[in-house]
Amino acid sequence: MRWILAGLVVAGLLFWWVTEPPSLNPAALPDHVADSANGELFFHAGSCASCHGEDLAGGLNLHSDFGTFVVPNISPDSDSGIGGWSDLAFVNAMMLGVSPGGRHYYPSFPYTSYTRMKVQDLLDLKAYLDTFQPVSNNPGPHELDFPWNVRRGIGLWKMRYLSQGPVVADTSGSSEIERGRYLVEGAGHCAECHTSRDRFGGLELNQWLAGAANPDGEGRVPNITPHQDGLAAWSESEIAYYLESGFTPDFDTVGGSMVAVQENLARLTDADRKAISAYLKSIPARP
Amino acid sequence: MYRFLLMICTLLFLLPGSQLLAGDSPQEQRHELMEQSKDAAKPVGGMLKGEMEFNAATAMASFESWATVAGEFGKLFPEGTETGYDTEAKKEIWTDRAGFEVELAKFDEAVSRAIAANPQSLDELKAAAGPVFKSCKSCHEAYRVEKE
Repeated sequence: MRWILAGLVVAGLLFWWVTEPPSLNPAALPDHVADSANGELFFHAGSCASCHGEDLAGGLNLHSDFGTFVVPNISPDSDSGIGGWSDLAFVNAMMLGVSPGGRHYYPSFPYTSYTRMKVQDLLDLKAYLDTFQPVSNNPGPHELDFPWNVRRGIGLWKMRYLSQGPVVADTSGSSEIERGRYLVEGAGHCAECHTSRDRFGGLELNQWLAGAANPDGEGRVPNITPHQDGLAAWSESEIAYYLESGFTPDFDTVGGSMVAVQENLARLTDADRKAISAYLKSIPARP
Repeated sequence: MYRFLLMICTLLFLLPGSQLLAGDSPQEQRHELMEQSKDAAKPVGGMLKGEMEFNAATAMASFESWATVAGEFGKLFPEGTETGYDTEAKKEIWTDRAGFEVELAKFDEAVSRAIAANPQSLDELKAAAGPVFKSCKSCHEAYRVEKE
């Protein structure tokens, strides 16, 4: 009995130790004059307003198998929003999924993708968010079932699923595909809907962008790899035109939650939409 | 025997046709009208994309085709047609009928305005067709199930 107790205590301490929320070293922040125009591009690439709201005040509910996630206020309000945050706090949140108070965020906030963004681009994004009006609104906590409500456990989840490296390593030396990869795998967080998840809610990287169940109800999120079940029949310029206009090659229109995403991507440059298309045509085709 | 075979053949020949007639369910009619809309969008989209030369009569024919759709489409969602024929209609059409009607009215109005505008240049076409396309997207955003 004593040994079992001792074992539990050791396991508990070990759990506490390995799940400690990390923080970046302040020295990791580069000297950078923030460019809010570049930040605005990443704001649209990341579709921030589509979850956090046009005024960034939050409040949308995301229903999942684990419970309901409530989207927080990211307007520059110092009490209910992120108004008082330092640059380091913002970068920690986006790249490590850790709050200024040193707690893990749930990956419903897709830092698993944002972790691939460059620190400079994140600082530009923060500068753009700072141009919004502060809105006082506290949408309240998530409503999750046990064991998912044990926040510290996310530390274990991150050990398995949080990785900064690119998913598709080979860009054949093309700077266009590399830019597309940066936008799709990073800020765009396309895989968060277009890739299936395992039972712990982690992305199945061997099914990268091959489509998934619709997280928000009936239907499917489509396969966007160059497989015949996906975008095989679409040319690069047809993909870019879809992202710009919302039209498929046979002039059906975009629908569902992709409408908001497409309208955000319409605000990127032609070159960036072309880069996204080039990347999507270059990745491994999967059924 | 010969007459019997002839009768069987005749029945077999008639069967598919009669099935088609009997099977014109609201779900199928809805589907056909959306296909018609898409076909009408093709030349307009082609002109806007710069792949086809602007033609006022072709554009107007598309607008008229959409007007037909606008007149019929909303009537094809009676109770009991929530499923079947692999429909992409979201259940919200029946649970939030008022919201769906608002979307239909947007389409109807945008098409009427486009016809009244009678565009004679590519820029005028862009201005006239834009709101129509916007109404397609906004209805598909809320009331269509996305399938692969």
